[in-house]
Amino acid sequence: MRKNAILGAVLGAMLATTAVQAADREIVIGYQAPLSGDRSQYGEMFRNAAQIKLEEFNASGKLAGAKVAITFEDSKDDPKEARNIAHKFLDNSKVVGVIGDFSSTVSMAAGEIYAAEKMPQLSQTASHPDFTKLSPWQFRNITTQAFEGPYNADWIIAAGMKTAAVIYIQNDWGISALDGFVSGFKAKGGKITATEAFNPGNRDFRSILTKVARQKPDVIYLAMFYEEGAAFAQQREQLGIKIPLYGTSSLYSPKLIELGRESVEGLHLATTFTPDNPDPAVQTFVKEYAARFKSEPGMFAAQAYDAVGIMLDAVAKAGPSVTRESLRDALAATSGYPGVTGATSFDPVTREPAKALAKMMVKDGRFQVVTGP
Amino acid sequence: MDVNVPDARLMPDTLAPPAAFSGRGRRFAWTFLLLAVAFGAVPAAIVGTGSSYLAQIAITTMIFVILSASLNHVTGTAGLLSIGHAAFYGIGAYAAALLSTKLGLPFVVTLPAAGLIAALFGFLVALPTMRLVSIYFAVATLGIGEMIYVVLLNWVDVTRGPMGIRGIPPIELFGWQADTLLSRYLAVAVIAVACVWVLHRLTHSYYGNALRALREDDQCADSMGINVERLKIESFVVATFFAGIAGALLAHTSAYIAPDNFRFMESILILAMVVVGGLGSLPGAVVGALFMIVLPEALRDIGDYRMIAVGATMFLSILLLPKGMLAEGTALGFVRRSFSRGWATIAGGTPVGWK
Repeated sequence: MRKNAILGAVLGAMLATTAVQAADREIVIGYQAPLSGDRSQYGEMFRNAAQIKLEEFNASGKLAGAKVAITFEDSKDDPKEARNIAHKFLDNSKVVGVIGDFSSTVSMAAGEIYAAEKMPQLSQTASHPDFTKLSPWQFRNITTQAFEGPYNADWIIAAGMKTAAVIYIQNDWGISALDGFVSGFKAKGGKITATEAFNPGNRDFRSILTKVARQKPDVIYLAMFYEEGAAFAQQREQLGIKIPLYGTSSLYSPKLIELGRESVEGLHLATTFTPDNPDPAVQTFVKEYAARFKSEPGMFAAQAYDAVGIMLDAVAKAGPSVTRESLRDALAATSGYPGVTGATSFDPVTREPAKALAKMMVKDGRFQVVTGP
Repeated sequence: MDVNVPDARLMPDTLAPPAAFSGRGRRFAWTFLLLAVAFGAVPAAIVGTGSSYLAQIAITTMIFVILSASLNHVTGTAGLLSIGHAAFYGIGAYAAALLSTKLGLPFVVTLPAAGLIAALFGFLVALPTMRLVSIYFAVATLGIGEMIYVVLLNWVDVTRGPMGIRGIPPIELFGWQADTLLSRYLAVAVIAVACVWVLHRLTHSYYGNALRALREDDQCADSMGINVERLKIESFVVATFFAGIAGALLAHTSAYIAPDNFRFMESILILAMVVVGGLGSLPGAVVGALFMIVLPEALRDIGDYRMIAVGATMFLSILLLPKGMLAEGTALGFVRRSFSRGWATIAGGTPVGWK
């Protein structure tokens, strides 16, 4: 019985190797995303961007002797569906790596399974601080406030400004943005004159503005979204306060300028992706996406495009005989991947991404890339 | 309603036990069959195919069998339309998660504790809402469900808010750890079967008749000497207790929970299971859970049209089978015969009442 089993295994292995030699090996990447339900628009963007990148990759011939395919599964942004999908991918021996899911909760529900069963997982959007701490098998290519805060702090210090006041929205994201910026700013020798929170939905910043302006900081740092950002900038103009504004990437939206008009002139922020970045890689992607899907790609499409790119580059590095283990190691070695959301590197230990962000400012009624400090 | 008067005409022949079983054998035929599926066929399929996907679906199904059967107890049998069931599922899950991660309590403690904590909340909710009827009660449970969801989301110090709780240990019983998917399934299945058995004994009894009586006409039931308010509270507490148990099973099998597991849509999903299966029918609730979990997975391969197909199937099932896949009347007759819960005055006669 046992002998037969061993014989069978040996024969099977021999057959498998001859099969690989005879035809191109098929390597599959699993992609789980909300393709139906409340958040299906994000899943749709991910799938569109992923298809463009996959075709580019298979046409580039970076990986000889194998063909890569992506299998999409609809998670409906539902943790229980995500767990089912995780097992479906694990059962399929052709799947060597997984991209997704969209929200942190769903990514982590599946992530617990990938961690236990040893499948590399790369999320394009999960920003939960614990996500990459699940196991050495989790990666993400979205930067968190723990990265963006110190990045902006460096930028402000480099521009010669030494004191800052922080206005932040009172929620988990706002608190993480505050922590990230304050620790980064203090580490570079900056001084925080005030930190002021406001409740989500608040649009009246006059009292905060007067209070903050009294201490005359060199800069006001805004951790909020574009609606509040526009209201804040307008009230600052009305009160005649001239302190320059810097903000988080969450302010990056054409709506900010539409709502804030002249008052947002001179606002600085750093972001990962902007469709008008003159970088040829960005322009190729934007044109291809617009031609195929009749819409301009946003940050989410760009994140997915780069996540797929990073995953496929790692597959190419690991070679046609890639396994889940070798793909994980190749992913961990990602360094300076030239994506459309900035050059991405993974910290080999924490697996957190570091990116060169695009520095922007509002000038002449539109966002323009800033060169130099 | 014909539900309390067993009538042979209500029972199609197909539901009669296999002819080969007679006497004592016949009495246990369906029990054997169901246990054989839960503990024989499903584990055999999991081992045989080596599919962890199948095992995961089986676990999810078992958890939803508990949720659907418990909601059926309050909404189907006692007639109180609750659309906040997922909140109690969430309370159970958070109770088990916090007790095991913060206090290090073992599964034998966290499981009943999760049920009891959910039942306590159920009791507190039931006290002021029991005077409400029909849609007013439904709206109250909707509000309470949302309230509990928002508390789970915003009480960051205790629940960690949107961050969720991770690192919840797997099911463990006196040193035996359910660390493989098969053992996890078996542990969940044992508990699910026990829960359904308790609900079966509660529903298929004169106590169940009293619940059905207050559903049909609570003033009439009151005038017959039934303590309506107490029975309503009891049925709500029992249902929330089992929802809490289901939550504990989710926490211990998935290792990570967050408020998004317990959104309003989850309550609606459970309600759909009960209605598609057959409102007031316990076997229907079990079939409904099976149907609503397995169908979307079975349709995965059709891609983008999957949820449309699921919706269409639900629509057709309600249109063609408005009383559900296993209607209450049929189900009660079936239980009386096949599980030998009714009295038969003469051999082979129509069973009546409850043993």
